[in-house]
Amino acid sequence: MRDLKHLIYFEELLQEANNDLVRKAKEDGKKVLGYTCYFMPEVLLNLPGCISVRLRAPRCTSPDMATYYMSGRTCHYGRSLMERALEGGYNFLDAQLATETCTVTCRFQEHLGYKSETFDSTIIPNNDFKVEFTDVPFKKTENSLDHYEKELQVHVLDFLKNEYGIDTSDKALKQAIKDYNEICEIIQEIGEYRKLDNPTITGYEFSVITLVSMACPWYLIKDKLKETAKELKTRKPDDKPNWKIKVELAGGENDDPDFIKLIESCGALVVADRHCYGALEARVPIEIKEGETPLAAITRHYLYTSQCARYMEQKEMRNRKQVIADYAKEYKADGIIVISNKFCEYWSYERMIDTIVIPRDYGYPVCSIEKEYINSASGQLRTRFQAFVESVELKKIQEGK
Amino acid sequence: MKACKILKKTVGALAAVYAGLFAVYYFDLDGKLLYYVVEPFMIKRFDNMKRRDPLSVPYDQIDKEYM
Amino acid sequence: MKKPDFEKIKNTNFKKLAHDFVYGKPHGERRLGELYIPGTGLYKHREWRGIKDTMYAFNNIWLYNYGMLVKDLVVLGGGPKGLVQFLKGTMRYRWMGQTYLTVMHWVDRNLEGMRGEALRGSAWHFRGIINACLVQITQMFNRDISLGGDPKLWEKTMGHDETLWGGVFYPFRDQMTNIPLQMIPYFVTCHCNNHTVLNYIDAAQALGLPGDPCPMCQAEAGIFLQDDVPDFFKAFVTTNEACDGSVATSVIQDWMINKPLFAMPQPMQFDNEEVLENCAKEIEGAWKFTEEKLGVKFNWDELVKNLESQNELQRFEWEKWDVAANTNSYPINGVAQALYRIFQGQYGDLPIWHEVDAKVRKIMDKCVEEKINTFPMTRHRVIAWSCAPLYYSAWCTWAYNCWGLNTIINMDSLMFDMEIRTDSYENCLMDMARYHEWAPMRRMAVGGLQHIFELWDNMEKFNCDMVMMYDQLKCKGMQGVHGLFEDEFRARNINAIWMPHALPDKRDVSRAEIRDIVNDYMFTVMGEEPLDPSLLEFDDANSW
Repeated sequence: MRDLKHLIYFEELLQEANNDLVRKAKEDGKKVLGYTCYFMPEVLLNLPGCISVRLRAPRCTSPDMATYYMSGRTCHYGRSLMERALEGGYNFLDAQLATETCTVTCRFQEHLGYKSETFDSTIIPNNDFKVEFTDVPFKKTENSLDHYEKELQVHVLDFLKNEYGIDTSDKALKQAIKDYNEICEIIQEIGEYRKLDNPTITGYEFSVITLVSMACPWYLIKDKLKETAKELKTRKPDDKPNWKIKVELAGGENDDPDFIKLIESCGALVVADRHCYGALEARVPIEIKEGETPLAAITRHYLYTSQCARYMEQKEMRNRKQVIADYAKEYKADGIIVISNKFCEYWSYERMIDTIVIPRDYGYPVCSIEKEYINSASGQLRTRFQAFVESVELKKIQEGK
Repeated sequence: MKACKILKKTVGALAAVYAGLFAVYYFDLDGKLLYYVVEPFMIKRFDNMKRRDPLSVPYDQIDKEYM
Repeated sequence: MKKPDFEKIKNTNFKKLAHDFVYGKPHGERRLGELYIPGTGLYKHREWRGIKDTMYAFNNIWLYNYGMLVKDLVVLGGGPKGLVQFLKGTMRYRWMGQTYLTVMHWVDRNLEGMRGEALRGSAWHFRGIINACLVQITQMFNRDISLGGDPKLWEKTMGHDETLWGGVFYPFRDQMTNIPLQMIPYFVTCHCNNHTVLNYIDAAQALGLPGDPCPMCQAEAGIFLQDDVPDFFKAFVTTNEACDGSVATSVIQDWMINKPLFAMPQPMQFDNEEVLENCAKEIEGAWKFTEEKLGVKFNWDELVKNLESQNELQRFEWEKWDVAANTNSYPINGVAQALYRIFQGQYGDLPIWHEVDAKVRKIMDKCVEEKINTFPMTRHRVIAWSCAPLYYSAWCTWAYNCWGLNTIINMDSLMFDMEIRTDSYENCLMDMARYHEWAPMRRMAVGGLQHIFELWDNMEKFNCDMVMMYDQLKCKGMQGVHGLFEDEFRARNINAIWMPHALPDKRDVSRAEIRDIVNDYMFTVMGEEPLDPSLLEFDDANSW
């Protein structure tokens, strides 16, 4: 396939959190708000006057300083974020809108705001920098909705209004929803090409595009995304596909497009995603129902679309497997790769059960992978992926497909 | 006289039991019995016990209200 | 025949021997390490503590507790049928048959070297714990329908996560039974006989779980995967206490239980006032679930009765803390204090707690009135912070005997630090919500760094000069704040010993390694000599 016109530009934007567009937004007077988790509604951090950056730590292979603070026995993702923070990589942030949704990222964010009585513990050298935590429910019930809405009101909207003078009126919220929906619609449009029998976009490219939409100010990246969507309308697939099977990538945190590139280099085209930083449901437009306030709509949207492994209700625990299987069906995947980062408690368990239940109850072969944040051990992973591709191919041949 | 004898015997027997128990306590004979005899037997029993295959457990609990 | 060593006999100080026989050897001359049979943790012979204390240990602890075990089994089990069920359970479940028979050795390990009132006060705590265990064991087996238990009892029993406070079910205690599922099969076993739990950890990993998640949660999952869970309950209530691992392990439990389940999570950012209402509603949700699933009715009077009873326990706990903090007359050792408190606070009210507290009150009052120094060889007053190694909770007695490190208080004792109001439904519910949010491994470990750093205030409050900093290698929450602790210890000039461990799994860090770390610190950093050098190194690799 012909290269996408803006792909290299997008790739460059992903090389650091404080990329050109974030710097431009800062020059434009925007408040830059960091966050790590889908449960911190991105849309609220993009109210007029501020922009959001979902924190990443690309190219962080050796988080030595962070390992002193968080030991070598916490997830590499959380430690890499910490390392980047200690290196000064997040000094551009005006505030961190935090959630205690998984322990290690929580600890990382707590470090950002920690003020010791006995020594200078400053990490972000900005006197106005603040960390504000929001409590996030573990269920999808009316009680959870009320709770989550209250939390978002107090710890996001009131915080932004009181600390930074951000307009948090319904009008402003509606504008933010409009901007958010526009981005979602573009990404969804691009994602539709993954459903084709011979998709005209690779998983790697889609991952880069999705990540760019999380790591850059929307008002500065929107046009390039639109252009890409337009470009895809006429993009021709290769006559002879260079993939052998199509797979869905599910599991925990992954913001490394190169990991997807690695999978695809082994002959498995990634056509659907259900993982942190790349979940399909994370780019679904927000609908304001009749009689609903914009905040209530946002609350409902984020609480109900999330497929996080921390949901504890019986129906949610079971539904997660169904959602993965449904995506595989919708995107015509032949198999599913389930990933978890080493030291991730949630996804270690979820991956284990997915690996057993999904093949048994839904008939999809599963490749179960424990990975690092940045995967330097690519040789071992390549062997695993190649073996998986071969086994699925063999299965397809046996089934006469 | 007979009652006295019975009493003496009972007291003697109780004293012997008490002394025996004290010996068990002091020389940790209860521990040694459990460690060298009982536990190995139990381990063998539990290791050889037939158990349900966890992979055969269905994943289908449906309770409309609380599921 | 060997000739008698007349020289040795001549040099023997018989007066001293007689004194030691009557009063026991003084601390510093005891050489307790020589009592062990290498490798096993068994004693060549139990310690001679002088006539009075040895006879107390024999009569009032060993004999009494064995006797009480039998009595409790008969009374709590409801007679001969209960005994039959107990035997069936013992032969069916590894955590029972392999573990609980060794209970008196667990008590022994934790009372080593204790004398006088400290021996008595600490031993009563263990009596309370053992009775509470038997309450649950007999309840489980009498209801276990897979062992021919009573289906009518099964119908009226709610299983729940051990980390869910048992008091949630107070309103129904006159109509149903709530039994924490993992407390007996997992938690207490690790203390009593840590061989058992390894099977469960291995079972979880054999099915594909990595080795790095919290081994407590791994073991809890493994009990299900090994098909070692009694079928004693009709429905189940789970919770997110205390960490990501607890949430994650619910996925396995839910699958294996395959019964109606209610999740009752608690907010993480519990300092935020607005979260209380959410938490309270979750408790109400659990009540509704209980009513519907078990066909019982909410009974306010029953709730108040139980809470008032529990408040009484809390008030005495505060008195204990006061004595521990401000005197040298606290008659309870670190491990007894910790285990009793965590068990009592987590399980909820039971008659035995009140019986034990009454006995301990007498002992403590005597100590205070007579100004008895209960741990006379104390060199350092230690606060133990974070979560403890379950397979080596007896390190407290070892550290005191070997180095004079007296553990005054520990983090998990300081949870649930409140009374619950019963003056109105609203106040009561809010307090119950708050109480649950302040559960073990949670009150300090989540909701912001300010909680974990309450260490500094508690060091001051309890007059401690040293920290035993537990380093649970697989606890992400504590690992995630390791460096800041190091920085703070240095900046505050605090002597802190990091004690690495893997909660129930002795294979990661053995007890001998733990002792080595403490020994090294005491020699090199503190520059001190041991009180009992025989305890510096000994082989207890395969002990319970």
